[in-house]
Amino acid sequence: MKHFGPAAVVAAVVLAASGPAAAQSQIVNIYSYRETGLTQPLLDRFEAETGIKPVLLFGGDGLIERAAAEGENSPVDLILTVDIGNLVAAKELGVSQPIDPAILAPVPPAYRDPDGHWTALSMRARVFYASRERVSEQSLDYDDIAGPEWRGRLCTRSGQHVYNIGLIASRIVHLGLDGTRQWLTAVRDNLARKPTGNDRAQVQAVYSGQCDLAIGNTYYMGLMLTNEAEPQQKQWAQSVRIIYPDAGGDGTHVNVSGVILARYAPHKANAEKLISFLLSEEAQYLYAETNHEFPILDGVAPSALVASWGELDADPTPLTEVAAQRAAASVLVDELRFDEGPRN
Amino acid sequence: MALVAGLPVLALVWVALTSFSGGGGLGARTLPGALRETGLLLAMVGLATAAIGFVAAWLVTHFSFPGRRIAQWAFILPLAIPTYLSAFAWVEVLEFTGPVQGAVRLLTGTESLREYWFPAIRSLPGAAFVMSLVLYPYVYLSCRAYFLMQSGALAVAARTLGASPQRAFWRIVLPLSRPALIVGVTLALLEVMNDLGAVEYFGVNSLTAVVYFTWIHQSNLPGAAQLALTLIAVVAALIWLEQYARRRRSYLMPRDTQTRPPRAALSGLPAVLAVAFSVLVVGLGFAVPAGQLAVGAVAQIARFGVDGQIVSALVQTVALAIAAAFICVLAGYMTAGRLRVARSPTGALLLRAATLGYAVPGTVLAIGLVVPLGALDGVINDIGRWVVGAAPGLVLTGSAAALVYAYAVRFLTVSHSTLSAGMVRRGEHVLEAARVLGASRGRVLWRIDLPTLRPALMAAATLVFVETIKELPATLVLRPLGLETLATFVYAQAKAELFAAASVPALLIVAVGLVPVLLAGYLQGGGRGQAIAS
Repeated sequence: MKHFGPAAVVAAVVLAASGPAAAQSQIVNIYSYRETGLTQPLLDRFEAETGIKPVLLFGGDGLIERAAAEGENSPVDLILTVDIGNLVAAKELGVSQPIDPAILAPVPPAYRDPDGHWTALSMRARVFYASRERVSEQSLDYDDIAGPEWRGRLCTRSGQHVYNIGLIASRIVHLGLDGTRQWLTAVRDNLARKPTGNDRAQVQAVYSGQCDLAIGNTYYMGLMLTNEAEPQQKQWAQSVRIIYPDAGGDGTHVNVSGVILARYAPHKANAEKLISFLLSEEAQYLYAETNHEFPILDGVAPSALVASWGELDADPTPLTEVAAQRAAASVLVDELRFDEGPRN
Repeated sequence: MALVAGLPVLALVWVALTSFSGGGGLGARTLPGALRETGLLLAMVGLATAAIGFVAAWLVTHFSFPGRRIAQWAFILPLAIPTYLSAFAWVEVLEFTGPVQGAVRLLTGTESLREYWFPAIRSLPGAAFVMSLVLYPYVYLSCRAYFLMQSGALAVAARTLGASPQRAFWRIVLPLSRPALIVGVTLALLEVMNDLGAVEYFGVNSLTAVVYFTWIHQSNLPGAAQLALTLIAVVAALIWLEQYARRRRSYLMPRDTQTRPPRAALSGLPAVLAVAFSVLVVGLGFAVPAGQLAVGAVAQIARFGVDGQIVSALVQTVALAIAAAFICVLAGYMTAGRLRVARSPTGALLLRAATLGYAVPGTVLAIGLVVPLGALDGVINDIGRWVVGAAPGLVLTGSAAALVYAYAVRFLTVSHSTLSAGMVRRGEHVLEAARVLGASRGRVLWRIDLPTLRPALMAAATLVFVETIKELPATLVLRPLGLETLATFVYAQAKAELFAAASVPALLIVAVGLVPVLLAGYLQGGGRGQAIAS
């Protein structure tokens, strides 16, 4: 062990220089899957109003597992995340606890946990980006893109990406496993190229002429149209228009961003204050304006830009039912080898 | 030692064996496809890095041509660019809206991709292209060190005995260089195996990606652990191959033979070709991606200024990298030294197991670490409550120490191979001589062992430092609340798809990584010392 003497000293110095701010009590510790650029304005506002300082750990996959491994010693109070899968996984791994029901009351029941362990904060719809030049249809359903007229015209990102897993899981809820297998097989063979890149790259592919119709989340349209740093993205976005699939039918598939109250939250009262703030009309409005998502509260209107794409008719299926089919969806994507591209 | 370094892997074995419920994991339908694509990618990158690295090393050690001295260190530059950054920069350059295709459309008068053909950068060959261009320096460094040390004398001997230059090359130099080639290629291929970011970006279905969706979507950590162990088996095979190749080094001539390879002066067309090759390789591997990042960074700073958080991220990154380099060199010295002294097969096997951390995808390694560390923290807190009536909270999980530990596990292979190569080349005789002459163990260590290993020690420290700065997945999961490194900063911006904003910290990663690379190159001063990677 004596060989580790200097190593321990170095580690201790680094530790001392960068340890978490655990001493103050007026804080709330957050593990966040969400981009800091998006959450920071909200958290700044919260700190100004309440004097409670949010301490953020931004990360990706693995944060919920980390909270689980930390157990009752965990410093985390709240987990901010996207995708229904993460919300459900947190509860399954036992890292959550019920939020005060009074705080959750304004949220529609389909968008929160039946036991109150998590709530959605905003919604995004999984829609079609149709080429203005090459697509004449004004309305389309998810079923329609399985038709032979779409051969070689579709683009999407990896079938194993959480956004597509959510969509396919909701298809399983509506069509059953066999129906979804047929649908997904047809969609795979209608792809213009092997799934690659992110949602924006699909819109770029429509712009460049590689395909005519892309599947993507609504807010990317807003982000691209207002992208001052990379203005070329405005051109990509202007080459497409949004179609809300299944409007008037089952409704358009939506996924959510949400928040989980940690099971051993050391600052539970502060954490519930923050949840309550995030569900306030003020915060919901800010969320909608900065990220072009749909507010979760019925009373708050989407941003003017989002409203200009038409009205969202969201699929009312409770998200927990969709989440229950995620593993089946992932196995199906694997089984059909969706990510290896069309097989004609 | 082996146990400490092997802890995450053991945790994975435990998870894979104890909670596996059948289905998923190795039964994945895309596994054959993923194996095929991973295999193809490895083959392409292996061949390309071997060719580029070997030719580059051969040129600078055996020939003189205009700019040779610059080329000698410039060939190392791409090492400072993480593959995921190079991937993103190259896609920006070669995509439909990038400058190259823009020029093609302008020249041909076309408007849509339907009217002309252009190779897709987001593809398997695209990934191989980008990765080879940033990973060849591993081969270059090991081959150059090798040429400087060895083939000089033997090549001269062959020429004296009447062999033509071609014959000396094919019969002597190339076969003798095989161990150096394999060492470099193995390190490059391990990088490929580890890379999730770049591979995903290019739409390549890799084994790592299969591990990932099994874990995330199917909530099947045991299945994912099984797959991760398969991955480790593949990498273990690669490492074994490397060690096997290195065994032959003992047949080579000892270091004392200071015959420099004769450098033939190139002129005319060959000189032009040598210069063109150097410019092309360094240009594509370094100048294009770094330039693209610089353009983005300048635009970002001009518009928004510099984010104050970047400065603290920079300081924390450097502190972590120094700690990791220190610990890895220490641990690498111990494992390599142990291997040198004790030649028992079991010990050697254990040591090899200890260096497998490099093989595990960063996120999976992090999970493998977080589970035992969390359990250990639980024990510490129970003892705390029992003994003093108060729990100390998390001591290990989410601390900078845990992060440094993860780096040490991950990069031990790098320092171990570098140091063990250095020890083999130096040989035992100087140490034995000192001991015979009555020097104490400590005196031998300080006066003989460490000074004679200095180039290898510096090389190991440099490589680990650079790797740590670039490391992303384990850092994301394991770092303390509120701590950002440059890499996590880039990730945060890139995840929001704010590439211009990501360029500033990205460029800093390249710049910080360049410091030790250039320093090591400088200290080598005209080839007097040993090269930085063995």
